[in-house]
Amino acid sequence: MHMSDALVSSPVAAVMGVVSVSLLVLSLHKIKKANDENVVPLMGVMGAFVFAAQMLNFTIPGTGSSGHIVGGILLSAMLGPWAAYVTLASVLVIQALFFADGGLLALGCNLFNMGVLSCLVAYPLAYRPLAGEGGSSFRLSLAAVLACLLGLEMGAFMVTAETEMSGVTALPFGSFLLFMMPIHVLIGIMEGVATAAVLVFMRRYKPDLLDSCKPVSGQHKVSKKVLLVIAGVALLFGGVFSWYASSDPDGLEWSIAKIVKDGEVSSEPEMVKNMADRIQRNTAFLPDYGFAVGENGGLTEEEMEATSSSLSDSKTGTSVAGITGGVIVLLLVYLIGLLFRNRMRDKSV
Amino acid sequence: MSKLEKAYNELDKMELVSSENSSVHALDPRSKILVTSVYLCLMLSLPLVRLSELLLFFVFPILTAAMAGIPYGFLFKRSLVVLPFALLIGVFNPIFDRETLFYVGSVPVSKGWVTFSSILVRGLLSVQGALLLILTSGFYNVCKGMEQMKVPALFTNQLLFVYRYVFVLIQESIRLSWARDSRSFGKKGHGVKVWSMMIGQLLIRTFERANRIHLSMKSRGFQGSLRMLGHFEWHRSDSLFLFCWCTFFLVIRIFPVSESLLASFRWF
Repeated sequence: MHMSDALVSSPVAAVMGVVSVSLLVLSLHKIKKANDENVVPLMGVMGAFVFAAQMLNFTIPGTGSSGHIVGGILLSAMLGPWAAYVTLASVLVIQALFFADGGLLALGCNLFNMGVLSCLVAYPLAYRPLAGEGGSSFRLSLAAVLACLLGLEMGAFMVTAETEMSGVTALPFGSFLLFMMPIHVLIGIMEGVATAAVLVFMRRYKPDLLDSCKPVSGQHKVSKKVLLVIAGVALLFGGVFSWYASSDPDGLEWSIAKIVKDGEVSSEPEMVKNMADRIQRNTAFLPDYGFAVGENGGLTEEEMEATSSSLSDSKTGTSVAGITGGVIVLLLVYLIGLLFRNRMRDKSV
Repeated sequence: MSKLEKAYNELDKMELVSSENSSVHALDPRSKILVTSVYLCLMLSLPLVRLSELLLFFVFPILTAAMAGIPYGFLFKRSLVVLPFALLIGVFNPIFDRETLFYVGSVPVSKGWVTFSSILVRGLLSVQGALLLILTSGFYNVCKGMEQMKVPALFTNQLLFVYRYVFVLIQESIRLSWARDSRSFGKKGHGVKVWSMMIGQLLIRTFERANRIHLSMKSRGFQGSLRMLGHFEWHRSDSLFLFCWCTFFLVIRIFPVSESLLASFRWF
């Protein structure tokens, strides 16, 4: 997943650099504020641990290939998300400088894809609520697998998006994504199983070292500020990057369009198709990621061509669609989080 | 040799090279950090089709390596590790982009092939730039330079800590790996179960080590930040190094230099 400098253009590297470095500064500030001087040597040695552990492989049964850990979720479970992000960042800097694992200019992208998404997004949103306080081994494992999977899938998506926005590859976005996402589901599950195995071992022999087995302290709770930062980043991505989203149909739409054009799916009853179309038109809030236009929603082909010339309008539409999409996803995630919290509260009562 | 042993040897070799003496080694690491950043930014902002200008960026690693007394082959061999990933991404360009860009004799060369070569060259160039920085300055000096450039001390300390303990922990992992290999046969003993216990052991030992380090540091007066020895002074040679290279990069980035070079050759 380490992106080389060859795959990014300077503007993309700059945007990602600003986002990742700001979050790094915020993390450093948080660590400093916590004023735990023990954490500095601990972070240093843990960074070296991740570095060494990444090179110790295990065999994946039935395949003959081998796997290792990236370590974002494991580090977060040990040190808490902020210190874990700083630790992972230092490992990535050393890997880039000495082993050409990821480029120096692409460091911002790599920090975001591997550090921010796993330590600051997947860990607080997936691992913490699922693992709970002092949960069972099964719960710990499930949380680890899901959090690793979520982190890696988001990372793979971002690698694709960043490479496409840099204009390096001629491979269409949809096909690239179809190539990246399934591979990373497998890698994510493997990483999750490996992380879970280490966490279960730690839970048995040194439970005091696990963050989730300690009593909750204020600094590990997801504060409102963090939520605001994540919301801000999501808005930025939804708003700015959706301009660059391809106007061509995605892989699935494209393949379906091709099949329909070939007349192979003519057996589908017209009535059902029309009904489905009508339902979608009435419910789709942002058809094709733009505003719905007119009473019927959607546009005819000619109208589409006419409107595409007024670029600024369509850009506003796409941005608003991106931002609204981001807000809806955030709300959903928040609701799921609330459900978990309520369940946990019920249990503790 | 296992991956761990290779990594250990590499780190060791690079540490040796970075401690040598040369005019480039003697420069302030801040000027080298700045030159490397400008080099990377301008090189990567060059459009992929301008392969001829991109090739001119090779002047920087070749010349600087020569000035620093580092064999260019040493640098080039290490930069080859970037190729597999760049190949994987770039290989689709010749398939999708078949527009003919120019002819070599009567053979048409498509845009896809040019952009594909550009991706590989960009990969090599960027790695060589980064390696040169570390090989001519050493990690300690790069961190010290970064601290003088107002990078938070907490982060530079963290980098130095990790770098220091990477050597120790890789050695420990090599011993663990040997122990596993000598007790297992074929694929047996290399599964997740044994691996997780091994990593768990390493983790517990790491924590205990961190505690010992912390105690010994505290007993020597550690109060949360490392004190670095010495202070870099900015000399005229640093300004000259920075100015010359930045001007060179800007010229090849902005002007179509290779075309004019070709034209002048024809004129002769």
